Amino acid sequence: MMRRMTRLVDHQTIWPWLLLLPLAVYLLVFFAVPLIEVLKMSVTEPKPGLGNYQKVFTGALYGKVFLNTFGTATLVTVCCLIVGYPLAYLMSNTTPRRAMMILLLITMSFWTSFLVRTYAWMVLLGNNGPIIWLIEMIGIADPPGLLFTRFSSTLAMVHILAPYMIMNIYSVMKKIDPVLIRSAESMGARGGSLFRHIYLPLTAPGIANGAVLVFVICLGFYVTPVLLGSPREQMVAGLIGNQIEQFLAFGLGSAMAVVLLVITLIVLGIYHSRFGLDKLWG
Amino acid sequence: MNTFVRWLGYLFVIFIAAPLLVVVPMSFSTSSSLEFPPPGLSLQYYEKFFSDPAWLRPAWNSILIASATTILTMILVIPATFALVRHRFWGKGIANLMMMMPLAVPHIVMAVGYYSYFGELRLVHTHLGVILAHTCLSVPITFLVLSANLKGFDRTLEQAARSLGASPRRVFLHITLPILRPGLMISALFAFIQSFDETVVAIFISGRGAETLPRKMFDSIRQEADPVIAVVSTLLFVAVILGLLAPQIVKAVQSALGRSARNASE
Repeated sequence: MMRRMTRLVDHQTIWPWLLLLPLAVYLLVFFAVPLIEVLKMSVTEPKPGLGNYQKVFTGALYGKVFLNTFGTATLVTVCCLIVGYPLAYLMSNTTPRRAMMILLLITMSFWTSFLVRTYAWMVLLGNNGPIIWLIEMIGIADPPGLLFTRFSSTLAMVHILAPYMIMNIYSVMKKIDPVLIRSAESMGARGGSLFRHIYLPLTAPGIANGAVLVFVICLGFYVTPVLLGSPREQMVAGLIGNQIEQFLAFGLGSAMAVVLLVITLIVLGIYHSRFGLDKLWG
Repeated sequence: MNTFVRWLGYLFVIFIAAPLLVVVPMSFSTSSSLEFPPPGLSLQYYEKFFSDPAWLRPAWNSILIASATTILTMILVIPATFALVRHRFWGKGIANLMMMMPLAVPHIVMAVGYYSYFGELRLVHTHLGVILAHTCLSVPITFLVLSANLKGFDRTLEQAARSLGASPRRVFLHITLPILRPGLMISALFAFIQSFDETVVAIFISGRGAETLPRKMFDSIRQEADPVIAVVSTLLFVAVILGLLAPQIVKAVQSALGRSARNASE
């Protein structure tokens, strides 16, 4: 203990902490305190106690919304993987020029605001949009509305989050030594077994990274599900927003926020213990 | 198998590209609905955007808030990044975790916190409130970009300057800062974009007083979804393309200037 104290006051420790001090104080006042405020409200509003949590864990609606959120996040993650893997494969197995073009496109999509991409899907899937028109062309008269359904919000979220997956898989896949593939092929590995024994194990870290990022972002996604999703199949973030904005139920909203936060931190914590969080964001 | 996966890849390229392609034609539409392809072409929604204070004010607010957020974030993050990259000290792990925390907390959770906390401080619906909140959210990405740059910094250059008799201050101003400038610019750009794009917290705390562009777009999509959104989207889109191509443009201009200078000297 003594030794730790003396180490704490020596020059080598003081100087870096002095550099860190402004930011640490700032984050304490404007990040930690509001977060604690959420925790506090969840057990004090409208009256002290664990009533809000009881509601969250036993109310049929809330359980359904949490399940729905989990299901959607899982579905979106799987779809992102289905989209991301062939794309990353294509990029690492084509001419550098073409790979560059695709990379530029994905970067462009990535940098385009969530709202812009959500709006674009609204146009594409709308009743006067090209996809409905195409369905009618095929001969299906009076197709069902695509907008404001679980389908439209899931599709848009896959589109919005896919770049995270693609970038992560691509960054590991382009490092795979082509000699490895050729030698595996020369020994008779084809299609499925080449994938199972070479590609899958070598790209696993990229998949894990991408999947955790997509899953975690999707759990707390607010904008797209609210704008494109079905009001009857809300996700947690949308429901929290409702509680605060419409019903002014700060306690209940906060309790749900805390549960969402804990789940998010658990997922990130599992990732951290296995791979280290600093690798997640590159 | 190989060709199949490849074709699947191309299919998904279309999936990624398609939404980006519908936005621009939509902005020139004559229709007030989500009709695509648009029935006719006009500039009426551009006119509406550039003449309507209900759109211009949020755009201006966003630029103002993002600029202030960038400055504040850089002031806080630069010294902290130097501490974390260049020193080994007690509590470094905790400090690192602290920098990354705002990235781990879903924005909706922070929005609830700010809504109530800034309500007490009377900062809801003010520019200052949004700036203070956005600065927290910009810290992790700015730190990540800057620390990656600082880690690649060749410290022998500083040592050389020191051994030639320069004071630490002089070394910092004349060696460290100029070399680090591109990294500083990029991390500042990330802070700016993070704030400019941030939607969820802004929806809850910016209110009428400090309404940001994403908040206005969100409300507009929810209510009328008219093509002004496509106009804003197109403008943002052009900004992204310019941003991505900026290095190439600068290079092209430089080489053109270099060529004309050579021609002139010949």
